[in-house]
Formats: sequence, structure tokens, C-alpha cells
Amino acid sequence: MDLSRAPNDRKLYLCKWYFRAGFIFLPFVWAVNTIWFFKEAFRQPEYDEQKEIRKYVIYSAIGSVVWAVAIVAWVLTFQLNRADWGEFADSISFIIPLGRA
Amino acid sequence: MDSHALILIVLLSLIVNGNNCQRTKDKMFSSIVGSSCFKRLNATHETGCTSSYGGSVGVLHYIKTPDDFEFVLKDPPSPPYAVMVTPQLFTREYLIRLKDSPHISTIVLIKSVNETLAQFSQELKCPNQFSGIDSNSCDIDKPETIWNPYGTGLLHENFPFPIYYVSEEAEIAKLVDCFDKFNSFDVANQHNRPLCSIQVNSFMSAAVNSEVCLRRTNYANNLSATRFCDPLQSRNIFATLFPRETVSQEDRKVQKDEKLVLVTARIDTTSMFDGIGAGAMDSLIPFATIVSTAHLLAKLLPEREASNNSNVLFVLFNGESYDFIGSQRFVYDINKGYFPSKIQATNQISFENIVMMIDIGLLDDLHRFTVFHVEEFKAATDLVKLLETYSQKFAFNISTTSKVTQNLPPTSAQSFLRENRTFPAMVLSSNPLNRFYHSIFDDQDNIKFKYFNTTQDFTVAAAINNTMGFPADSIQMAIRNASTVLAAALYEKVTEHTYRGNQGSNLILIDELLYCFLISSDCPLFRAAGPKNMPARPEAPPPPRYVSVQGLYTHETARWTFRIFGFLIGQTVPIEEQNCTVLPMFWFPGFNGTGSCHYTTQNFSQAYSPAFVEENYDWKSGKYSTWTESTWRELNARIFLKPSSTHEAKTLAVGFVVMIVSFVLVFLFNSKSDILFGDCVSSENTLTNPAHC
Repeated sequence: MDLSRAPNDRKLYLCKWYFRAGFIFLPFVWAVNTIWFFKEAFRQPEYDEQKEIRKYVIYSAIGSVVWAVAIVAWVLTFQLNRADWGEFADSISFIIPLGRA
Repeated sequence: MDSHALILIVLLSLIVNGNNCQRTKDKMFSSIVGSSCFKRLNATHETGCTSSYGGSVGVLHYIKTPDDFEFVLKDPPSPPYAVMVTPQLFTREYLIRLKDSPHISTIVLIKSVNETLAQFSQELKCPNQFSGIDSNSCDIDKPETIWNPYGTGLLHENFPFPIYYVSEEAEIAKLVDCFDKFNSFDVANQHNRPLCSIQVNSFMSAAVNSEVCLRRTNYANNLSATRFCDPLQSRNIFATLFPRETVSQEDRKVQKDEKLVLVTARIDTTSMFDGIGAGAMDSLIPFATIVSTAHLLAKLLPEREASNNSNVLFVLFNGESYDFIGSQRFVYDINKGYFPSKIQATNQISFENIVMMIDIGLLDDLHRFTVFHVEEFKAATDLVKLLETYSQKFAFNISTTSKVTQNLPPTSAQSFLRENRTFPAMVLSSNPLNRFYHSIFDDQDNIKFKYFNTTQDFTVAAAINNTMGFPADSIQMAIRNASTVLAAALYEKVTEHTYRGNQGSNLILIDELLYCFLISSDCPLFRAAGPKNMPARPEAPPPPRYVSVQGLYTHETARWTFRIFGFLIGQTVPIEEQNCTVLPMFWFPGFNGTGSCHYTTQNFSQAYSPAFVEENYDWKSGKYSTWTESTWRELNARIFLKPSSTHEAKTLAVGFVVMIVSFVLVFLFNSKSDILFGDCVSSENTLTNPAHC
């Protein structure tokens, strides 16, 4: 969809709903929202809905960064400790690597 | 028009030459036929070998003298290396050094024909040390207590690289030629030229230990179930001399007055390499002895002489090489009242029914036996006396002594005595002399077996003084003498009177049996005991006697032994073929193919460790065998020419340059597209304003 051709109220509606959808454990939706509406929020000449859009974009950005940090931290912890955790690690693994502890 | 014609010519030439063309892959690689070492695991360790995931690659280096090891171990020019060694240099000392070296990626073991091999055994010096009655009784520091004096224990090491055994002369020649042509000269500067290298693919899925790999196998977390390892398992084969009473499944119980003499040996052997290892001396001699003893007894005693005669239960245990899998399960089954299994419609057997157990251990020396037992008891002294008496009577050169000790040979009796130290078990064994115990070279040459191919009847008992053309020092004669003496002793145990006959074990049966299990399974004995109209399979290899795992093509030896027991121990009955269909009646083609119906007594029992059966088994307890075998996708090897490292670097650099040039070109084309392709609008606007273009 080409945002440049959508009316301003439609932009706000989309941005708001992308932000709300992110709450159901969909951090990628926040990330998409941030990137997609970044230009609209910060680079376009001012218009009425822009303030609202800017707010949602900032919140989405914060949300996706928090998620990214959490996910990276978990992946690191899990990969570094998988062998030591033994049975518990195996039980939460979807794919267990072949030929190693 | 011209360009079309050109394409057509190219296509046509491709089609015409298509049949002569080799694929690039086939031009680059030449596969090497051989056998690989693989991974086995127990409750605490993993043992064996594995390659890296995509196959381990190394530059071939032929080790001809011990000094050559120093070249690859001390900062060699072109690591990693695949060392090619002969069995003479495949020793613990060098293998452990190679294992710890960062420069080694593969070991290729090649058979050497001209040099004699003094010893070659990868088994431990104390086999199955921790599943016997007393793990301290066998001490590697006291040579007189160990059961495999030539053992190196390499079978129980964990190698981080593959070990590949090549035995065929043509394949060895390929390797040696390739080494001589490309690698052997000017070794210090060999990294400046293309080198002959080998890639061995033997990646093993399992890791850590049996507990972990079985747990991972049993998880159903993802949709495609992955098998990491499988428990070692097969079947024990047993048969009774006299048929046991058949009862309905509901009425099965232990019959207190039933008396059984247990005569046992093991059926399996093992080696470091997949599919090779005849176990000729380490287990086939005891196996042949028990089969011919059972056969002779069945000929001498077609039925009980008196109703109170004890019966003889012959059992061949499977998986004994791996902490006594078969006998541990047998003891477990008897304790639980599961033996024989329910569907076999005979009474249960309890330990009270077993009056004594004669376990045939190592028979490396068939002229000097020792009867080992833990405590002094009458049956043991009687057996020694009987064996001595009959040996003298038949003028066989066999001496038997008795020994009370905790240091029993590594055989099945250990499982029974571990359960009950007062169990009347004795081990008939010789001193360990086998230089190739549990190895690929424990073959027909190790026991000096020569096939006589007499084409005579092997199903009858023969007169003791009839040598049938077999030399006095042949292995057949030695086994015949041992089994005849044992059969005579058992005869006296069963009937409680002296054996006065002159019949002995049949030399031809022993000849045929050894042939089937050492040379080819397309043999007269298997044809006589096998299915009717079995097709000829010339060159068929002997059945593998490694215990193996559950699978479609495994347990061939157990199936053949089952048939041999039925054929040789079961008594013939005058029943027509069409009526001889329901067990225990079974039809065999027989020696000359005319066929006969036998009243059979043989059956299977599980050789599957109780560790895998018991719920919540404590893996660290060491109570039962926990051996598993890793799964793998492929075991193969191929050689190819590996370019020198400078050549490889050049290729990579050229690739980079081409990539960067192409980026620049595309950028230039893109930015100057309006000049190059005329001032047509860009694609973005085509959709919105199609009319402009």
C-alpha cells in the first residue's frame, strides 16, 4: 500500500491499529509500524494527525526494542546453557542438534 | 538466425556426447570401499568415532614407519591430515597421540598382507569388568588376572574423527598410488601443490550417553521424529534336549520337580568396524562346541531313559559382548516368571529348577580346560572328574582342572552369580590366548580353519575312532574332542550312569558350521536347516554376529541359530510334510533335500536389556547393560585432489573481484539507464502512467 496516497485520517487509523495489534505478542508488527510510519511521523510537513502518529511510532519503537533485547538475551542464555540444562533444555527444544551435547 | 543455429548445434552435441560424458562429480572424486568405526554409548560414556557433519577431509599421509607419526604430529605443512596406517602401527600409544593432536582429521586403516601381525585387539584388558560379580578381581596391573592380555581398550575410546578400514587390495592400491603420485615427495613444501585428500562421511547423531540420546529420541516435540540412538538388542536362542510338557497359557506354573541342567555359551561377537568381525576364536569355537554337544546328546538320548532324568536346557546368549545383555535379561525374566514367554505354552522355569549351570567361556586352548567356580560345590568337582575320565577313556589329549575364584572369565555365568552368589554355576574355560579378541582379524586364519567340503552327511553321530580324513591337529578335531567329552559328561549327569558307547560328535557338522559362520552363508548346513527351496546365493557373506539393533535386516545369526537348533536337536517324527505345519512340528529340507519333520524344542527369548524395560531405571546404578548404538545417515569415503592453499585463496579472491566488478557495472547501468536504453520512464511510473511510454 502506498501511504503517500492515503488520506491523513486513514494513516492515523492504520498506525493506531498496528500499535494495538502489537500487544498480542507481535513485536514484529511494532517494528513494521515504526519503519512504515517513520517518514509520516518525522519527515512530512505538519498535519493534524501527525502528533498522534508520532506518539504511536515512538511507542512501537520502544516496544520493539524491548522485545528485541529480551529475545536476544534469551537466545544467548539458552544457547550458552543448553547443554548444562540437560533434560529441561531438551524438553523446550523444537530441533535438537545432531551429534553434540 | 545464426545464433539460433549455434544454440541448436550446442544442444545436439550435448545430446550426442551425453552417453560418454561423466558428471563433474565423478571426475573429481573416486569412492573408496571400506568399513567405518561408529559410535556406541552407555549410561556414562560415548565410545567410537564420528566425522564432522559434512564429512571429515584430510590430506593423505601414509605412515610407513613410527617416525612418520612425528611428521604429522609436529606442525605439518598442510593440516589437517588423514593418516593411513597399517594394523601393526594401529596401537594404543599412537592412536591416543593422534586423538589429542589438532592436525589429524581422519585415520585410514589399511590391511597389510605381507607383514605378520602379532596382536590386534581393541577390547579392554578386562572385558565387561563392571557387570561381573567382582570388578576388582580383574586388575590390569596383575597380568595373571586379566582376560584379554592383548587388549588395547581402543574400542572404548571416544575419537573426535572417523576411522575407516579398507581391506580390498584394489582400494588400498588406489589410496597408495594417489599418495605416491601427489603427496609422497618433497613433503616439507607439499602445501604449494595440489594434494591427494580423503573425505570420510560417518557423522553420528547421538551424543553424551544413552540416557540423553534415548530421551531425545523419545521426545515428540517436532513433527519429524529424529532417532538419535537405538538400544543394542537381539534374541537369545534356547532349546531343551527333551520336549517340555505343553500346558495351556492359563495353567502355566513353576513345576517344582522339573530338573534342568543349564548349558550355555554366547552367540555374539564385536569389533571396531561396521559389518566385519567373525569372532572365530572369541565366540565361534564355544558356539560350535555347544551346538555339536547338543547334537550328539540328542542323538544319544532321543528320549528320557527314566522319568526322573533331568532335562538339559541349552541357551545361546546374545549381546554378551556388551555387558551381558542376553544373560541379564534371561535372569530378569526368570525372576519375574516371564521365561519362557507366555505364548510358548510351557511351564515357567524358576531358579529352583536349575540344578547346575555349565557356561562355556573362552575356548582358546581346546586341550587345557579349567572349571571356574565361586564356591566349592559337588557338581563342579563331579564335572571336572567326568571330563577327565572321558578324556582319558577316548584318549583325547584334554586336561581339566578346577579353580575356585572370584575372578571368573567374562561370560554369562557372571549375570547369574551377581543375582545369587550361591547359584551352582561353573565356567568351562581355557586360559586367554586369543591375540585378536573382538577384532576384525579374529577370522578363519586365527583358528587355522580349513574347509574340507566333504559333502557327507553331517546329521548323524559318528564313531569316535573315525577321523573322516581330518588331521589330528585340525580345529575341527579339537572341537569334536571337546564337545564329545562334554556330551559324555552331560550324558552321565542326565542318565546317572556311565556312557559306554563309541559315538562322538560329527566332524563334518563342525566343519560345515564353521564354514557357514566364517566363509559363506550359502552353505550345506543352512540349506539343510533353512526354508524349503532356498535360492542359491553364491558369495553370500557369513551372517554378521554383532548383536546390532532392532531392524529389518538385523538378527540374521539369531534366526539361523534358531533353525540349526531345531534341525539338530529336534527329533525326527514320521509325519508327512502337509501335516507338519503346526509348532512344535517343523519341516526341514534336511541334508539331502528329501526333508523330514522334526519335533522341535527351540525358541527365542529377548536379549533386550532390562534397563530399557524398567520404568524409572536409575542410569547411574550400573545394574544392567545400557549400551546403545548411534544412528547415522551414511558411511562412505572418497578421494580427490585438494588444490594448494594459495590456489584456493586465488580462486576466492577472483570470485570477490568478479562480484565487486559486477556490482559496479550494475550500478553504472542503472544510473545511466536513460542514456543506454532511451528516455523511457522508470518502472515506478509505468503502473500509474502507462500511456506515456
